[in-house]
Amino acid sequence: MYDLAIIGGGPGGYVAAIRGAQHGLKVLLVEKDALGGTCLNRGCIPTKCFIYDTRLLETAKTSQLLTGIEALSVDLNKMVARKRRTVKTLVSGIEAIMKSHKIDVARGLGELASPGRIRVHPDDGPAKMYEARHVILATGSRPLMLPFIKVDGHLIQTTDEALDSEHFPDKIVIIGGGVIGIEMASIYLNLGSDVTIIELLPDILSTEDKEIRRSMQSLLGKRGARVHLKAKAREARIKGKDVEVSFEDHAGKMVALRANRLLVATGRAPVLDGIQADKLSLEMDGQFVKVNSRLETSLPGVYAIGDLVGGQMLAHKASAEAEVVVANILGGNREVKPNLVPRCIWGITEIGTIGLTEEEAKARGRSIRVGRFPFTNSGSAQAMGNNNGFVKIIGDAETGEIMGVHILGEHATDLIGEAVTAMTMEAAVEDLAETIKPHPTLSETMREAAMDWNGLAIHSLKK
Amino acid sequence: MIEKALDSYNAGEEKEPVATEVVLPMLGITVEKGKIVEWVKKEGDPVEKGEIIFIVEVEKATTEVESPASGILAKILVPEGVEVPVLTVVGIITEPGEKFSEDAVPQAQSPSSVDSVTMVTSQENASMAADGIDIIKAVPAARRMAREHDIHLRDISGTGPEGLIFARDVETMIARKARPSEVRASTLARRLAEKERVPLDEVTGSGVRDRIMRQDVQAFLKEPETTEMPLGTVIPMSTVRRVIARRMSESAFTAPHIYFFTDACLDPLLDFRSVVLPDLEKRFDIRVSINDFVIKAVALNIMDFPILNAQVNGDEIHIMPEVNVGLAVAMPEGLIVPAIRNADRSGLINIARQRIDLVQRARQGKLTLEEMERGTFTVSSLAQYDITHFTAILNPPQSGILSIGKTDEKLVMEKGQVTVKRVAQIGLSVDHRIIDGAMAADFLQNLKWKLERPSSTFLTV
Repeated sequence: MYDLAIIGGGPGGYVAAIRGAQHGLKVLLVEKDALGGTCLNRGCIPTKCFIYDTRLLETAKTSQLLTGIEALSVDLNKMVARKRRTVKTLVSGIEAIMKSHKIDVARGLGELASPGRIRVHPDDGPAKMYEARHVILATGSRPLMLPFIKVDGHLIQTTDEALDSEHFPDKIVIIGGGVIGIEMASIYLNLGSDVTIIELLPDILSTEDKEIRRSMQSLLGKRGARVHLKAKAREARIKGKDVEVSFEDHAGKMVALRANRLLVATGRAPVLDGIQADKLSLEMDGQFVKVNSRLETSLPGVYAIGDLVGGQMLAHKASAEAEVVVANILGGNREVKPNLVPRCIWGITEIGTIGLTEEEAKARGRSIRVGRFPFTNSGSAQAMGNNNGFVKIIGDAETGEIMGVHILGEHATDLIGEAVTAMTMEAAVEDLAETIKPHPTLSETMREAAMDWNGLAIHSLKK
Repeated sequence: MIEKALDSYNAGEEKEPVATEVVLPMLGITVEKGKIVEWVKKEGDPVEKGEIIFIVEVEKATTEVESPASGILAKILVPEGVEVPVLTVVGIITEPGEKFSEDAVPQAQSPSSVDSVTMVTSQENASMAADGIDIIKAVPAARRMAREHDIHLRDISGTGPEGLIFARDVETMIARKARPSEVRASTLARRLAEKERVPLDEVTGSGVRDRIMRQDVQAFLKEPETTEMPLGTVIPMSTVRRVIARRMSESAFTAPHIYFFTDACLDPLLDFRSVVLPDLEKRFDIRVSINDFVIKAVALNIMDFPILNAQVNGDEIHIMPEVNVGLAVAMPEGLIVPAIRNADRSGLINIARQRIDLVQRARQGKLTLEEMERGTFTVSSLAQYDITHFTAILNPPQSGILSIGKTDEKLVMEKGQVTVKRVAQIGLSVDHRIIDGAMAADFLQNLKWKLERPSSTFLTV
């Protein structure tokens, strides 16, 4: 009898396992594949490996200083090998942490037989039943397939295949202009591919602040990517070594594109293998498992976290929910505030955001003020030679509450951390302005934007 | 830490074993406090060991306390009329001829031994005690430290047994004082509090290390202002009421009660009484009441069922050697239950005498504690009210209580004829831990039989 059993060893599941063990619970972690889940094996970490490696090439190739850049290219085999090494190191690191906490890891597909009972189906050998007082479902998500497009893994891929592929296309079509589509587009652009993005919605990165969306779209355009908005993918046909993609453009006109590769990046769907909602009478919320703010499902002693419950499908959201759910199992009453979950995008430049967009803040009827600071005015950004970027702070005009922070530019994904801390600790915009920042660093831009909120930025022209 | 602090104190205490402390004695297991109503001896009077030195009032009863030693009553520490906890040092006796010095007074006024832990309070607290405020208990090291840092002991909550203050408690307070009461709150919480005029020091923080977050201020604002709702009349509980409250809940929650009721035809008893009454009044100048008959009948019945005279003591059942039947007497301050001693062996006249005396002294507040605590079974009658029957809560540690409702004329079928009878409903509550239903039913049935056949029952009297 375990105190806690977790199905799924991704950033939700393994964090819950560690937290539980730290609090003295006897923990079972069920994983059908490799620990670390999508994040480590097929998502966050592999893309970042490729982003940084290809960015190196792109930076060198566009350098005004380096010579001999025409001959530069990336050894794709080595790039994939480095990614595999990195993933392997991290996975074995997590395995070591599991072992150090004496967490039992059962290999195989985990099935919720009933509340408190989990059947594990290993690839080889008979299924085994385990019992646990508390069960956390953390099965994550997988790429969402379009019914009319058959993924063959070579010419038509999802990120699962693309992130382990040693062949990179000269010409690629990406269906989906969300976070995944934009990050993958950036990798191919860095490698010099011809990239076309087909997006159903009126904008790429549709949940982000308008200024962020505009900037990213403009940067993509400058890099030669073609973005079709309000465009509906209709068909994909393999033609020899190529794939032909047909879509209906914003004007309703059918367009056919021929490319070496099609990447389907239309979002992700929850993994419900081993979770038979009907049989278990488990309440669902659309395709996701329904949970309350304490992350309890409709079944007693059964909790669900991460991509499986929807919301923002982010590794750190899953991890945060893991910590909260264990606290609740131990008698606490905590919840994850969606507003305090940051979002990061590694596009051709980085994006780090948290909280409400300017449009959302206005829609709430709040009286807001916006503070801005462009990277062009930052000594640090200038010295780096990349001044594409800005910090935008949205604050409640009356209370100074930081309602949202949006950063685009080099190191935006790191810079947003300061806003996360400030918002979590309920600092006001003025608190950000009262800090002393090291010079010359990009961290100064946050302070300047906060001062600009009161019209008092130092390195800005008088308004 | 605890032991160390106490050791150092105990070592210090051995220095001057001069005077004898006079303490307010333990006056029964349920007694927590007492009030000295009279110092029979005055300061400077010689006293003999065993002589009455003061009279204490507890739960509306008074008890005489004997001197623990012979000598001179050198100092009275607790004046008349002040209520203090039992085991409080109330006076000092010195040996004859020995010159009394104030230094000889243990700096003390508090329980001198509780759980074999010795505690001392300072003179600062003596005045507080005189005001009727609870005495603060602290180890000497804590007192010294508090004095040095100008901290009042009353501001410290002790972590030791019964709130005893240790040095570490003083240290905690010193540390807190070093950090002036700066309220830790987030900027947004502060701003909201300022706007809504919420006193932040009254808000409970839910953030990291109890930091006050905005939601805490919002929750404070949402709270119905219960504290400002008029409370109506506030009546502090009297000592008697406190004791009743505690004993009743103790009884209800420790002894599982079961209840039995039956009708008793009282015609024969009422007739019997009217026959014997004139003669008894003439011979003994006393009016024997129906209650006296009931008490006697109960006592006789207990002789047949001794388990109804039992008390639970840990894992043992103690059958009490005396049958003392308590009589619930309603007083303005609350119910008290003086007991008629040896009701089984006493004649009706004796029972009536005891009853009249006890009730009279109960009304005057002159009962002794012994009279109130000696009961082994209780009779509670509401016969003078328009109440047919009621359930009674056991008077701990007793195991049985009889409840008597009014006597009514009722139509009864007897031998095919409808007749009118005077009937009272009698109820029995017992402690089901030691008395089973069949036993209780048997007891009640036999009591009914006794009451309905007075000439047989009281013949031997």
